[in-house]
Amino acid sequence: MAEVNLLAESVKFMLLGMGVVYLFLYIVILAVKLQAYLINKYFPETTPASTAKKPAPSRTDEDEKARIAAIVAAVNEFCKNKS
Amino acid sequence: MRIKQLLISLFFALFALTTMVQASGNPAPSGEATEQSSEEHVYKSKSMAELANSFWKTTGINAILDTKDGEMTSEPAGHDAERPMTAFESSLGRIIMILIVFLLFYLAIAKGFEPLLLLPIAFGGLLANIPLAHMAGEHGMLGIIYNMGIANEFFPLLIFMGVGAMTDFGPLLANPKTALLGGAAQFGIFGSLVGAVLIGFDLQQASAISIIGGADGPTSIFIANRLAPDMLGAIAVAAYSYMALVPVIQPPIMKALTTKEERQIKMGVQRKVHRLEKLVFPIVVLVFSILILPESTPLIGAFALGNFFKESGVVDRLSDTMQNALINIVTIFLGLGVGSKLAADKFLVLETMGIMVIGLLAFSAGTAAGVIMAKIMNKFSKEPINPLIGAAGVSAVPMAARVVNKVGMDAKPGNILLMHAMGPNVAGVIGSAVAAGVLLSIFK
Repeated sequence: MAEVNLLAESVKFMLLGMGVVYLFLYIVILAVKLQAYLINKYFPETTPASTAKKPAPSRTDEDEKARIAAIVAAVNEFCKNKS
Repeated sequence: MRIKQLLISLFFALFALTTMVQASGNPAPSGEATEQSSEEHVYKSKSMAELANSFWKTTGINAILDTKDGEMTSEPAGHDAERPMTAFESSLGRIIMILIVFLLFYLAIAKGFEPLLLLPIAFGGLLANIPLAHMAGEHGMLGIIYNMGIANEFFPLLIFMGVGAMTDFGPLLANPKTALLGGAAQFGIFGSLVGAVLIGFDLQQASAISIIGGADGPTSIFIANRLAPDMLGAIAVAAYSYMALVPVIQPPIMKALTTKEERQIKMGVQRKVHRLEKLVFPIVVLVFSILILPESTPLIGAFALGNFFKESGVVDRLSDTMQNALINIVTIFLGLGVGSKLAADKFLVLETMGIMVIGLLAFSAGTAAGVIMAKIMNKFSKEPINPLIGAAGVSAVPMAARVVNKVGMDAKPGNILLMHAMGPNVAGVIGSAVAAGVLLSIFK
């Protein structure tokens, strides 16, 4: 077999490999920026969705508070009766 | 009522039918069975001494003591690949390997080094070193597991699917340029490739070893299996043990390359990422990998699949299975299969030492390149970039990002870098998959 300079070969691998990795990631970065621009332009941030969502959790929050209060009261009553 | 009666009668009719079919099917096989039993084994009477002696021959103690018993190595590829064990491999080698396995047990249990992977691998190694049982052979448990999913590179892809389903690309999408840091850290792979060639590995082996620098277990197994299957055990063990050692290896390098002021840099709040962006991203990455590097699509495809399922939000059950049940099952199998390569005849070779050294070099080089790249970006960027987050460019998700966060907090309490470090971290996964694709394309 002809003498192959393995070291030179591996350096070539390195250049190719790092080049492709960077190229790939750079293209992905551009694509991500483009998609962020397009999506935010044509499908603007979901403000209606967030306003529609909000009332529901707040109501359940209050329910939850009321329930906890009821439980605490009941437990207190129970403890008082016991002692 | 009528419907109920009808159903019951229908049930009985079916039952009668099936029993009849079974009865008519039975006679034929029973005839064959009597023919077979007529060929009996000839058994000669043995004296008690002979019995005891032949039993002694089958004990493990004898197998370890008697170095000239001509025991064969166990190969999942079948009998053709087997060769007689050397005296060292069948005696002292086994004992050394079993001690190494106990060391791995200790590291996994007492020190908490990636126990989810080290324990299955170590136990597989213990089973593979049992004399005479041939557990790593074609018909042994480990050999079956190996042939089922490692020899054909199936398990690493399933793991990648699960990792994809667990990954949140939000931080990367919020700050896309941090992806370059994930690219810089791949210098660990290619820089150590040169190093591996320098100490005498051939190009194919050097490529397989240097992928350890990608800090990505499944990718390492995938590549090692394609390029240097003999070294799979050592490469997988090196990759996973260095991943476990991320909190030990990385901080000194990170501190050596940065000043205290740089470590104290605070990064701004990330923008909110639109749900659609997250949904489209895996497809975008997959499309580019199809166009540029189809060789890497098995890895990136599985990864994109898992992530797409997660972000779609309509198949929570499937994505939940990928994240938990499936990845857990595959981890057990993958660990045991890799452990089968911890047999003395495969692991105790000179190359293993070289692999361990190159692996460490690869890891350190990747960390250093990421940090240096981040320093350069900090110089030219409008928003400040803390150079520490470059270290998260080696994939090792999410361990590397956590380490970055910790070092940042040490420099300045309240300096939370975790989400900023996740960007380069997940980009590192893509980067090492791309690097793997490049290496595969060279040796195609």
